[in-house]
Amino acid sequence: MQRSASSLALGPGGLDLAPSFFKPIHGASPPPPTSRNTKISVVGVGNVGMAIAQTILTQDLADELALVDVNADKLRGEMLDLQHAAAFLPRTTISASVDYSSTVGSDLLIVTAGARQIPGESRLNLLQRNLALFSKIIPPLSAASPDAILLIVSNPVDVLTYVAWKLSGLPANRVIGSGTNLDSSRFRFLIADHLDVNAQDVQAYIMGEHGDSSVALWSSISVGGVPILSFLERQQIAYEKQTLEKIHKEVVQGAYEVIGLKGYTSWAIGYSVANLARTILRDQHKVHPVSVLAKGLYGIDGGEVFLSLPTQLGRNGVLGVTNLHLTEEECQQLKRSATTILEVQSQLGI
Amino acid sequence: MQKTASSSTLGPDGLDIAQSFFKPIQGASPPPPISRNTKISVVGVGNVGMAIAQTILTQALADEIALVDVNADKLRGEMLDLQHAAAFLPRTKISASVDYSCTFGSDLVIVTAGARQITGESRLNLLQRNLALFSKMIPPLAAGSPDTILLIVSNPVDVLTYVAWKLSGFPSNRVIGSGTNLDSSRFRFLIADHLDLNAQDVQAYIVGEHGDSSVALWSSISIGGVPILSFLERQQIAYETQTLAKIHKEVVEGAYEVIRLKGYTSWAIGYSVASLARSILRDQRSIHPVSVLAKGFYGIDGGEPFLSLPAQLGRSGVLGVTNIHLTEDEAIQLQESAKTILEVQSQLGV
Repeated sequence: MQRSASSLALGPGGLDLAPSFFKPIHGASPPPPTSRNTKISVVGVGNVGMAIAQTILTQDLADELALVDVNADKLRGEMLDLQHAAAFLPRTTISASVDYSSTVGSDLLIVTAGARQIPGESRLNLLQRNLALFSKIIPPLSAASPDAILLIVSNPVDVLTYVAWKLSGLPANRVIGSGTNLDSSRFRFLIADHLDVNAQDVQAYIMGEHGDSSVALWSSISVGGVPILSFLERQQIAYEKQTLEKIHKEVVQGAYEVIGLKGYTSWAIGYSVANLARTILRDQHKVHPVSVLAKGLYGIDGGEVFLSLPTQLGRNGVLGVTNLHLTEEECQQLKRSATTILEVQSQLGI
Repeated sequence: MQKTASSSTLGPDGLDIAQSFFKPIQGASPPPPISRNTKISVVGVGNVGMAIAQTILTQALADEIALVDVNADKLRGEMLDLQHAAAFLPRTKISASVDYSCTFGSDLVIVTAGARQITGESRLNLLQRNLALFSKMIPPLAAGSPDTILLIVSNPVDVLTYVAWKLSGFPSNRVIGSGTNLDSSRFRFLIADHLDLNAQDVQAYIVGEHGDSSVALWSSISIGGVPILSFLERQQIAYETQTLAKIHKEVVEGAYEVIRLKGYTSWAIGYSVASLARSILRDQRSIHPVSVLAKGFYGIDGGEPFLSLPAQLGRSGVLGVTNIHLTEDEAIQLQESAKTILEVQSQLGV
């Protein structure tokens, strides 16, 4: 198996320990032609891509990690920085290349490539900058790994997941956008922090656009089995709709706040995407709010739109979308979110 | 217990679900006055500090993480970026402050603050820039956590660990420098990669200065129970001392190469320090090459230098230094390394 040497002085030109170090046993067969490794490729080694790659590595989710970017130096630097930790991690093969051929045979393709949001820039404004890039990236990726699951993180994620779906030719269950998985985590964090409870005990979804028109499903929030709105009623705790909207706004602002303070977000999206990777690759059958083809669901009929819905994920990608009960108002908000996204999509000409 | 609210609209001024959400049971006692949480403080939230904090968080090594820096915005941004991942992690309290009081009661204080190496700058040249900083930092840290273990990462790490020891007034077993823990990992990675072997099966130490005068202990390298130099002899594989020196040089160059390619190193040092944190806080009694008070070991008698030796680490810090056999040559190199460090230390007037 062709491998590039990490050391110049260890090997045939220098100190060559390898030929006699290990002896094979009698009658050993060569490795099977079909690799049974779990391989994840991450396209784009900026702050988001590397936070995702590093979290995947720490959580031991893959046997093989391939990094792709256009900047060869940055790429090699990031690869070395991960490889140098070899003594502290389970063995993972890490490769890096400007060439998409390095992604061949991936089980999961994670695309983070693209411009990042500038403070104050809305996600939809990024679109034009990223569309041209996807036309170059997506076709070779899907050609090299026709059975892979494609996970889009680049923003605006909903439209770009639609674009990736069209460009890849992959079936809709295998093209997913990271969507509102992270928004929902921020939402759950705020509620959990207020109640001093573990965030994993807070079931709360933000759906729709990963952006300004996202929808907080207040009617479905359940904390340790207690539906929140019913609880407020029973305890006769008065609240105004405006207050709920303000909390939702805090969630949406969360990302912008981090960008304003440290220049970008990285860690949270890293954990969020690693979490999706685990559910998919380990066939966990968990429900995540992620961007999927929403046509025909929740009264969304106006076109082929991708937006976040509570989705059951597993090894085959999208297993199905949860049949949640939405209030009339939540339904309307979701349809408006779909319309917002479709308006943008229609201008793309794909 | 006073808590800063994460949300401005969830709480007494907005929607207050908390007051009636959980009911205490009869006869419950308040929490004990002495916290039994494991608390880690990370001083400096640059690339190194954050890689360390995030790896510690992912590996669930602490119940509480406190971040300290001078830049309040960056600090808050990084704290939020970690908190937003609450739904994907075990519950960990994360705080951030420009004030050292947030580090009170730490079990482990990790110091990464300081200027980072510029491409081409040797570690020793950083010293003057970091000395003044330590005079401001170390005393309040030590006063705030008098029983803590102080782990220095800032470069040049050996001299700065000595400085931290002097400024803190701590016993020497509780002041450790990250030293050559990472150099050794790079060394093990190169050898393991050549042999297509898991790096954890390569026992190989680089000791002495974390820098240009480090010493590779070739005579102690053992791979799966095979001492390397004996192996080369038995197999009659000829090698020159120069070749061994070249391999060692590749290790030392490793850090500089990553800095040149991506601007800084982060991931590997993050994993390296998290590994030390685990050994210490979980009383793992593992051996790590880390910077310790080397006076009296291996013929090092000329002063109080800190440099890396294979040290057994546990809950009370440095349990002892391994009584490794060094060749005549290795002992001399180590003493040279000690002299290099002492020369610099003597100019400090600490």
